[in-house]
Amino acid sequence: MYRLGVGLVWLYRVTWGALFPTTCKYHPSCSQYAIDALREKGLVRGSALAGWRLLRCNPWSRGGFDPVR
Amino acid sequence: MMLFVIPIISQLETVMRHVLNWFHGTLHLPWAWSIVATTVVVRVLLVPLTVRQIHSMQNLQRFAPQMKEIQKKYKADKQKQNEELMKFYRENNINPAASCLPMLFQIPVFISLYYALRHFHAPKGSDVSFLHFIPSISAHTTTHWGGYILLVVYVLSQMASTLYMSATADKTQRMLFMLMPLVFVFVIARFPAGLVLYWVTTNLWTVGQGLITRRLMPKTPPPDLFKRSSRTPPKDDAGGGNGAKPSTPEQPKAAPSKASGQPRRVRRKKGAARRR
Repeated sequence: MYRLGVGLVWLYRVTWGALFPTTCKYHPSCSQYAIDALREKGLVRGSALAGWRLLRCNPWSRGGFDPVR
Repeated sequence: MMLFVIPIISQLETVMRHVLNWFHGTLHLPWAWSIVATTVVVRVLLVPLTVRQIHSMQNLQRFAPQMKEIQKKYKADKQKQNEELMKFYRENNINPAASCLPMLFQIPVFISLYYALRHFHAPKGSDVSFLHFIPSISAHTTTHWGGYILLVVYVLSQMASTLYMSATADKTQRMLFMLMPLVFVFVIARFPAGLVLYWVTTNLWTVGQGLITRRLMPKTPPPDLFKRSSRTPPKDDAGGGNGAKPSTPEQPKAAPSKASGQPRRVRRKKGAARRR
């Protein structure tokens, strides 16, 4: 089931991500974090974690090394 | 899934149509210029988010020697190199990379404009051209020779905005980003001309904003910022803490003596600037 989420992340990567190539302030990047989270925590918790990460990836955060735990 | 997405898209499309109608009907702008105006409004809303980014990128130059050192040290292992660079950024309170949120904000705008233009029916006799060389903003870009000019402008503006916005330390990556529009121009050629117009405008805005902030923003913040700098840094976000170990003594040593004293000083300044 988590593959659905991973597929969506890839869809984002090959469309929007490729059109507006920016480097994410976190490592791993938000999209990679989303894929890792989906793989490790499943669709629901993984999506929630990815969403929370996206909210953290704002100009007021510091960024940096932040893997899925 | 689709059942969930379609109502959202149609809502977005309706909002976009209202916005365009407002610019056209109330401000009497031609349709093409209504798109430009919408783009400008979106970008103005995003200004607080992007200006910080540019400032952060400017500060990066001070740390170039240390960063080169890290890159050299972990040349073989890209993953490790990235992690170390991220740790270094965190320790020195710099971050050259953009945050994902502002970029994601533009996705709904873009999608709504795409659908609004696809279903666009201008009232008879109203002007749907742009500067006399694009006959219709809702037609495919390549239906007229003017569209090709627009595409060339798009590629150039995209490259220029990449120069300003995605300052990555990795030269190969940067090169790749620069070449991306050359590939995507073939996809974009199938889009309505108005959408390309949106794109060109947003890119030009990026370039202009980059130029202006670089000129206006002093590279060193005013001295009054030092006063507030003695406060402890704010509590980190949820992702913080992990991986950020205290700076190793080798790093400042590895840098030239002139730069070795800088990280501490800049850390304070940036810390103060962050709370403004």
